[in-house]
Parts: sequence; structure tokens; C-alpha cells
Amino acid sequence: MNLFGLQTITRQIIYRIFVLTFLGCLIGVAVSIVALLFLDAVQWMNKQFLISPSERIKYAGDPLFLNTVTVLVPALGGLLVGLILRYLVDARRSLGPPDTILMVQTRSQGESIGSGCMSTLASLVSLGTGASVGQYGPLVYLGTIVGQMFRKLNIDIRNLQAICVASGVAAAISATFNAPIAGLVFAHEVILRHYSIKAFAPTAVATAMGFVIVNVVFDRPPLFFVEFEGIQFGYEFVFFAVIGMLCAFVAIIYGHGILACTKWVQQTRIPVELRPMIAGVFLGLVAIWIPDVLGIGSTTLRFATIDHAFEISELAIIIVAKLVVTAVCLGFGFAGGVFSPILLIGILFGALCGGILDSFTAIDHSGVVPYAICGMMAAASPVIGAPLATILIVFELTHNYDLAIAAMVAVVFSNLIATRIMGRSLYDVQLSRRGFDLSLGRINAITAYEKITKVMHSQYLRFHPNDKIEDVVSKLSASGYAEGIVTYDDDSFFGVVPLQACASHDPSEPVRNAVDRNPLIFTELTNVDEAVEAFRIFIVNIVPVVSSQDQKLLGVVWDYDVINSYLRTIERLRHEENESI
Amino acid sequence: MLTAGLVAVPLALSANSLTVSNWGGAYIKAQKQAYMDPFAEFSGIDLKLENYQGGFEPLHVIDESSQPRFDVLDMLEFEALLACEEGLLVKFDRFDRSLLKPTPNGISPAQDFIEDSILDCGIAHLEYATVLAYNDRSFTDEKPTTVGDFFDLEKFPGKRAIRKNPHAILEWALMSYGVPSQQVYDLLSTKRGLDLVARRLNQIRDHIVWWEDGSAPVTMLQDGTVAMASGYSGRFFSARVNDDIPISIVQEGQLLEFGVWAIPKNSDNLDNARRFIQFVTSTKSMAAMGNLLPYAPTRNSALQRIGIHSNSNVSMRAYMTSSKSKGTIRTNSKWYAETEEIREKWFNDWLESN
Repeated sequence: MNLFGLQTITRQIIYRIFVLTFLGCLIGVAVSIVALLFLDAVQWMNKQFLISPSERIKYAGDPLFLNTVTVLVPALGGLLVGLILRYLVDARRSLGPPDTILMVQTRSQGESIGSGCMSTLASLVSLGTGASVGQYGPLVYLGTIVGQMFRKLNIDIRNLQAICVASGVAAAISATFNAPIAGLVFAHEVILRHYSIKAFAPTAVATAMGFVIVNVVFDRPPLFFVEFEGIQFGYEFVFFAVIGMLCAFVAIIYGHGILACTKWVQQTRIPVELRPMIAGVFLGLVAIWIPDVLGIGSTTLRFATIDHAFEISELAIIIVAKLVVTAVCLGFGFAGGVFSPILLIGILFGALCGGILDSFTAIDHSGVVPYAICGMMAAASPVIGAPLATILIVFELTHNYDLAIAAMVAVVFSNLIATRIMGRSLYDVQLSRRGFDLSLGRINAITAYEKITKVMHSQYLRFHPNDKIEDVVSKLSASGYAEGIVTYDDDSFFGVVPLQACASHDPSEPVRNAVDRNPLIFTELTNVDEAVEAFRIFIVNIVPVVSSQDQKLLGVVWDYDVINSYLRTIERLRHEENESI
Repeated sequence: MLTAGLVAVPLALSANSLTVSNWGGAYIKAQKQAYMDPFAEFSGIDLKLENYQGGFEPLHVIDESSQPRFDVLDMLEFEALLACEEGLLVKFDRFDRSLLKPTPNGISPAQDFIEDSILDCGIAHLEYATVLAYNDRSFTDEKPTTVGDFFDLEKFPGKRAIRKNPHAILEWALMSYGVPSQQVYDLLSTKRGLDLVARRLNQIRDHIVWWEDGSAPVTMLQDGTVAMASGYSGRFFSARVNDDIPISIVQEGQLLEFGVWAIPKNSDNLDNARRFIQFVTSTKSMAAMGNLLPYAPTRNSALQRIGIHSNSNVSMRAYMTSSKSKGTIRTNSKWYAETEEIREKWFNDWLESN
């Protein structure tokens, strides 16, 4: 082919550059507009339902009314969330970044778009009625849904789904945090888990579009402002490192609190649809006493960077309350993310450290701002497993180089400890509990997630234990198989008979005498990774797959099928990571 | 013919007079020189200046009352927004080309006026600043430079004069904690924010001298009653330039707000009122005003014509209010209009506490 004087390959490259850039643009614009509408809707609901402090103050003279609303709103919101999740979302739980990661890494279909939209609706209700959950998780999933929609395009580009989803996620972070670079890095650190120019380019375009929409078209103010002159004393970096280490434990307590509460609730007999309502009542009762726990608490977040805005004891109380309330809200099934609450807990914890330094020591320092920011990012980064993205968020939110460096120190020390104790992120822990363990890398996670049943088939010779050895030998020799599978009539597995073993027996003996009763077997739960590991020890061609429930034979796998599957995964990842465009 | 003659009599009467608000002090002096005198000469209309210090009272005045009725008011922006909402002001048609004049170079008003200055019921004509100022002689060594210094009685001892209303002092109290100016109104809308304000005000409670008339802070600074005061930057400027009083302005914490020309609904002199507004919002009039007081005009064409003070040799540009300078807050009039009740109640509660 030599159309327009260009080689086919060149034309394909130009086609891909054009299509990917255009897709990035489209996804970027779509996601940022939808994400901003989502945030507006949350804000509007917060005003209507007296969650916002600026609305609550109007009813300060009528505490009975205010307290009633404070309990009723999250309770009724919880009921609605419970009903949506129970009847309209297939998974019966809210969807979030872990689902996105799983979908992208395993190249699976993921949850349906309909379920995704309903889960987003549930998050909207949760956030709107003041649940103590995060808003960025739902936004990341919103980006995922938009990416999913574009996946269906038939445009002949490999790994299109991952690219579309990553672009959507990046645009969502870019638009809502007003942090395009962090959005780009977040999509790579958390979702894609590799850097290839093929995915990088459209993601960068999408994230830039998010920035344009927010700043040029809508002109949104950033999440918060800080006024900070710079770090005045070099020794303060030691404090930042210490705060980072302390924050690792805050993050671990936070993560394990959520996990433990979720596990506990699942073991109880409370119906799914009623769970969030119970959390809502609890939240409301706490909020009567400590209103700061309501919603994502952006006002409290802003106060945290102000010197002497809180008493030290007050900070400690809000931190503990927010930790407990968030674990309850997420554990009992309110729909939402994990990022916003830990941002608030972290910034308050940082302010607490700064406050202690200020009140109980005579050490000169640069004010509460760097301590609060360090606390915020050091606590939040191990939860989402994105140290680079969080450092960049600081830089892009505050436009302050000193703060970004301070945050970097804290984030590094926090991740060092948290990764050892908790794992790379709360998302990864949640995923590993679902059988997708990324702790040893993508190849391991993907091959360990792929069940052996995918390559199972039924090309084998089957015998009854009472069949004569001579028959077995002749059939095996005729077919070219080196082994036969022996089962009872009801498919119950008996053993494997190697052709070689028959030689040492009398041909008229029943085959049961020559059978290996303890051969290598797989079950329907065995995954490709385990199978490959097994082949390192056992030399066999054919492995029976036996049901773990009733010991019945399901099929067999051939060693080369397993090895091919493993190599295909490696090959795919190598392609993904090295493709230029 | 007879009917026409009868109707013509009251028209003729009102045709020759116009009642306009008078904020007193250096402000009205400058307004007279820049606006009222030239307008009277140009139109032959008899201008009456009646005292007005903000508020809605004159808007409710009825026919037989002894209170003055205004035809044109120079209002605070947030009060104009509230009054407009309550239907007390005449609404302007934004597309009415006969009200605002183009610049001498033919640029349309819509392009010439700065953002948000053409309102539903008013025309913002200048950006005045409420500022913190001090008598230079009160502090012979270090001078106050930040909002925090206003609340620091140890470093800068002396009485503080503050306007007795929940206005600028709220912003200043919060800013003194280091709250960035972009976030002040957001945080002022919360109980925690107001608690912080109360804590700050309590620190100077016994040293506050309240004022209500805009010319009072200048007097109090001059005679040494107070060391620092809140007030309008134009009056402080005028005191220093025209009257040689040693008053300096704290650069940080300038609160900018629009002054707005509006026509009350209870005026029966609409035509003259419109003529007046058309005259005083012309590039020439606004530039003349800007050359007397350092309040930035809302027309770019007028701002370009600011030079040296009309009555002395001071460069006006150096003192002109500008939302671009650091530590300056553009007053959120919408917030003021929305929180009127809460602020009043909070302020009265605070005054009564202790």
C-alpha cells in the first residue's frame, strides 16, 4: 500500500496519534464538566440540608430544629443510599478506585455502566447528606465510567480501555483539585501502574483539558488557599520527617479501621439496605456535638492552616471523632471514597503537631501551615498509594515550592513505614482481599487473578479404575497421550495413569493398580501463577482439574497452555509498557 | 390644552430641583467640585444635598413626611443589592443606551466599565476603600504595617477607633490570624470564624472608641483621642494632603467596595435623576473625581485620565485604590447582603457580652 506516498505503518501511526489525542480531548472535556457538576450538586445539597457551616449558623438560635435536622438528614440519606446500592447496583456496594484498578489491570469488562452510574448517584446522596466519606473516589469512578463508554468504540487501538479510563481519571483529578500534573501522575501511579508514551500522551491531553475547563471556562477557585512565606529554619525538616512517620500510623489506623468495620458489618445480619441509615444516625448524633465531622469538612480543612484556630484538645477530639465516624460510614456502606476524610484528619493531625511544638516547646518554627500541609499529605498518600501525586497536589494547590519540599519529606517517611505495615495502599489491600494482590507487581497480580479454568479443556482419555491395563495401553498409544485420567462413573476423580507405569504391570490387571493416586492436580480455584510455580517442581504434560467441592473431574490443562497464558501476560505488559504510540 | 397646562406645573417644579445624598466630609467636598457644581451649571437644575450615612430609611419615606426624600442616592454596594431585591430602587434596563455615555473615543460603556459595575438597580461609580490608619506621631519608632498590628496593644499601645457596625472589623479580625484574603468570607460564614473574631475583638475591647460619622476618625486621630482608627482612605488622604494632618494608612487589609448611584422608587423626579447619573458617570466627571480623592473610578477611560491632585501637586496614581495590591480584599457585597441579619445579631450579642 502506498496511498498519498506514505507507508502503511506511517499512516497507522498518524491515525493513532490523531485518534488518541482527540479521545484525550473529548474525555477530558466530558469528565471535567460532569465532575464539576457533581461537586456543584454536592455543594447545593449541603446547603439545602444544613450540612454547610455557613447554613448551620443561620439556625444557631434554634438548636432543637438544627439538631433534629442534623440526625435526620444523614439517616434518611443513608436509607436512600442503602436502597440504591441494594437494588440498583449489581455488586450491592459502591464502586470506586479499586474497581477501576482491577478493570484496567485485568482488562476485564468491570461492572456495568448502569451500575456505575447508580453507584455515583449513591455517592452523590451520601456526600450531599453529609456522610463522612470522600468525594474523589466517586469522581475517579466517574472518570472510569466515561472511559468505559469510549472503550466500546471500534477504532483498532490496543489497550484502548485502559487509556480511556486513565484519561478519565486524570481529568477528574485535574478538574476537581485544580491540579493537572497531579492528575496525570495519579492516573499512572494508581491506575495504570506503568509509564508508556502511548498512554501518557492522551492522559496528558485529558488532564490539560480538565485544567482549561476549570480555569478558563468556569473559573473555579482552588480547594483552599494558604499564605506562607517559606520554611525559616533548616531543622524543621527533621520535624517534617517525624510528622511523616507519625502520620504513617494515622494512615494505618484509618485504613484498618475502615477494613475492620467493613468486615464486622458484613458478618452481622443487618440487611444491606438498612446499614447506611444506622451509620447516618450515629454520624448525626456525633455531629450534634462535633459538627466538623459532617461531610468532607472543607471549612474545617481551611481553618486547620490558621494559627490558633483550634485548641489542642479540640484538634485531638475532632481527629478521633472523624476517624471513628469515617470508619462507621464506610463500613456500614455509605457510598464514597477514602481520600477526603484522611485529608482532613491528616491536616488536623499536622496542625496538632504544630500546635504541640508551639505550646510546649520554645523552638522557633515557621507557623502551623507547613506542619498542617505535611500532616495532610503524609497521612493521605499511603492511603491512596500515590506519593508523587500527593506531593504534586501540594505544589499545584499552594503554588509554593517550600511547602512542596516539606511535604515531600513527610510523604517519603510516611510511605516508608506505611508500606511495610499496611501495604502500598488501602486500595491494594482491598483488592488483595478480593484475590488481586499487587504487592509483588503487576505480572504476579494478573497471573494470580487468572484462574486455570480459562485454559482448561477436555482433550484427554478417561478410564474407569476397573478397565484393563492392556486396553489402557492400546488406547493411550494410539492417541499419543502419555497419561490417562481415571475416574469413577460419576466423574469422581480417582487418579492419573502414566503410560510408563503400565509397563511394570500385567496387562490383564485392572488399571487401578498402576494409577498414581496422588498426582499433581489443580482445582477451579488454582490460578495461572500457582500453576506455573507447580511446573517448576513437577514434570507433567497433563494436569487434571478437580472440583474443590466434590472431587469431580472438571477437565484438564496442558502444561504448554499454562505456560503460554503466562507468557502472553508478560508479553502484553511488555507491549503496554514500551509502546510508543 | 387645559389638562396639559395643569400637569405641566408640578413637572416644571420638579424639573428644577434634585435631592442627592451627602456623605459629608472630604467626600462631599470632592463630589461637589467634580459632580454637583458642574452639573448644576450645565443643567440649570437646583441641587439639594441632604445628609445620608447609609441604610434604608430614606427609601421608605412617604409624601407627607418631614424627612427628606432623595432622588439620587450614593449607596454602599451591598445595601444597593438588598434594596434592589426588596424593590425599593428603580431598575435599569441594561441595554438602555441613553443612560450611560460612551467614552470621548467612542468606546461603549459596556466595554469601558469594569466587571460587575453595572448592576440591576445601580451604577457603581468608584471603588472606595475602608482602611486602617494611624497618627504618625503616636508611634515614633516602629510603624504599624499589618492588620495584626491593629490588634496588638503591646507593640502599638493606644485607643482604637472603629465604626460601630459589623462591617470591616470582621474581616480584619479574621485576617489578623493569617487567613488568606480569598478565604475570609468563606470562614466568616461559620460559627468558628465568628468565635475567632470575637476572641480577637475581646483583646482590644476596653480600648475601642466607636464612631458612626465618617469624618470622626480623622478628628479623633488628629486630636490624639485614638492612636489607630478605621475609616475611609479618601478622607485620610484628604486630611494629609489638604489639611496637613500626619495620618498614615496601613497598606495591608484595605477593603474595597463600590459606591453605587441608585434612584429610589419613592422619587418622583426620574428624568432629572437619570440626567444627573448620566452626567456624573461620564468619563470626564469620573476622572475629575479621581483627581480629588484616591478612589479608583469604575471606568477604564476615567482611570487612564488620573494624574495629579487637582488642588495640590500630589500624584493621585500612587494612592489610588487597587484590588491588585497584596493584602487587599474586594468586599463581597453579595455575602454582606445575605448575612445582614446574622452579622447584626452577632455584633449586638458581642457588644452586650461581658
